[in-house]
Amino acid sequence: MKQHKSGQRILTILIYAGLILVAFITLVPFIWLIASTFKTNHEIVGVPATFFPRTFTLEHYGYIINTFHILRYFFNSLFLAVVKTAVGVYTSLYIGYLFAKFEFRFKNLMYGLIVFTMTVPALVTMIPTYNMANQVNLIDSWWAIIIPTIVLSFGIFMMRLYITKAIPTALLEAAQIDGAGQFFIFHRIVAPLSVNMVSALSIYVFLGSWNDFLWPYLVLNTQRKFPLSVALSMLNGQNNTNYGGLFVATLLTIVPILIVYWIFQRRFIEGVAMTGIK
Amino acid sequence: MLQAPTGLGKNIPLSKENAVMKKRNANLFFVVGILLIVSYYAILFVYPLLVAMVRSFYNWNPLKGTEDYTGAANYIDIMKNPLFYVSLKNTLIFTALAVTGRVFLSLLIALGLVSITRGRDFLRSTYFLPVIMPIVAVSIIWLWVYHPRSGLLNMFLDGFGIGKQLFLKSPDQALYSVVAMVIWKDVGYSVIIFTAGLLGVPQSLKEAAWIDGASRWQTFRAVVFPSIIPTFTFVLITAMIGYFQSFVEIFILTGGGPGTATYVLSFLIFHQAFKVFDFGYASALSVILFTLITIITVIQLKVLQKGNEE
Repeated sequence: MKQHKSGQRILTILIYAGLILVAFITLVPFIWLIASTFKTNHEIVGVPATFFPRTFTLEHYGYIINTFHILRYFFNSLFLAVVKTAVGVYTSLYIGYLFAKFEFRFKNLMYGLIVFTMTVPALVTMIPTYNMANQVNLIDSWWAIIIPTIVLSFGIFMMRLYITKAIPTALLEAAQIDGAGQFFIFHRIVAPLSVNMVSALSIYVFLGSWNDFLWPYLVLNTQRKFPLSVALSMLNGQNNTNYGGLFVATLLTIVPILIVYWIFQRRFIEGVAMTGIK
Repeated sequence: MLQAPTGLGKNIPLSKENAVMKKRNANLFFVVGILLIVSYYAILFVYPLLVAMVRSFYNWNPLKGTEDYTGAANYIDIMKNPLFYVSLKNTLIFTALAVTGRVFLSLLIALGLVSITRGRDFLRSTYFLPVIMPIVAVSIIWLWVYHPRSGLLNMFLDGFGIGKQLFLKSPDQALYSVVAMVIWKDVGYSVIIFTAGLLGVPQSLKEAAWIDGASRWQTFRAVVFPSIIPTFTFVLITAMIGYFQSFVEIFILTGGGPGTATYVLSFLIFHQAFKVFDFGYASALSVILFTLITIITVIQLKVLQKGNEE
């Protein structure tokens, strides 16, 4: 019995060692990135490579903020993310509610189609959509980035699941009998009761927009309109030898995400867990 | 306007006007919603999907202004193109390795996490960090982690006396290097899903197995694993669908190279569509990609369902 217990103990220690090693591997590249933003370009490509800066410089921060104008791209990303989140989450709640609490013809067929859209690779519809955007003169416009995300299949799917489970139909019927209109019921009863899912979904839509790359990259031509991810890839691509500057820009793309994550950590994790179990 | 309905269901003031109002509102609300989704999906999903399928039989190049029906010519050209087979092979290797590596590792990590209590939340949120990071930023970091001369990994290898590796610059290592990066980035996502799934397995079931003298491995195989099969299926299929379309990491890390060592189908589609502007050819490729994903998803579902029934 005693032997069994010490065996258990060794196993626990091994598990902790393994888990901490994984955490270490997860974090090291980020720490190295932060450390490297303070190195001179000479040191960054120097041999032998260093982990922490030997000579400390802030010149890259100055360059990225004053010459690269990273704040402009930052606000582009922020604006796009806020608009897309507000619109996308609102329509998801709206349509999710329709599918959760209304009965209508072709409901299952339509819902099936919405779920089906999630399995179709974006690349398939991207070429015709690009062509369409070109025909209606939306190339190089933010509208081309916003319009395709006014309705979100994933959001509808999550909201329908949530509303079906979390909001009793009897409550809605009672409100209706009291004379409340559907818009009133939706805004004053369904929306407040769905606040958990609204915040979980908002985080994801916001992140998805912040991290989005390919579509904005294809659609936008004017550098001043670029979101951060596209501006960052440009900086990486243009035969750039200002490595420190690239590191700073990369770090500053990540930092807002870190802050959002720090604040909403619990919601993040719960949100993911919810999608997986069902 | 309407007041907040207090004391829901208690007073029922059904004047005639109210009833009419209620009905009209309900209809308006419903009609607006249905109109929104019908027009959205018709214009931004069904129509483009049909265009992609139909135009895959066309010589369609918006730069040259060509739009001619050419039958199966695009598909025949694809079948004759060696780069298609290279990309297909790379896509399959990339997907298989990334899915297997990620599922195996995340299940292992999740099993570790559920067996501890102290520090679990902290570790879990640490693993999740790379998941939420922009793929462009992560790829740029790893471009430097893999740097042949001054990269972080070569620094470590140097420390252990192992010679420097080329990683992304080597035709033999590039694809595996990209796989390693995506596993690093995505493992935390499935860790969370698996942890939630594993925590949902009733403790009483596991205890019953232990009392019957089952070993850890036997308990896992006979009790724990069968009850997380739905979770497992979800992780496997979403991972597969995702990796089949991986693009940005290839775009930033290797640009398909060295040579064609990391050309994958999505990269080939991107190149044909937006560098060569051969939209017809690229559409045909995308239809093939879609078909492949559908077939493999259906097979996986069938196999896993069968495994579930046994």
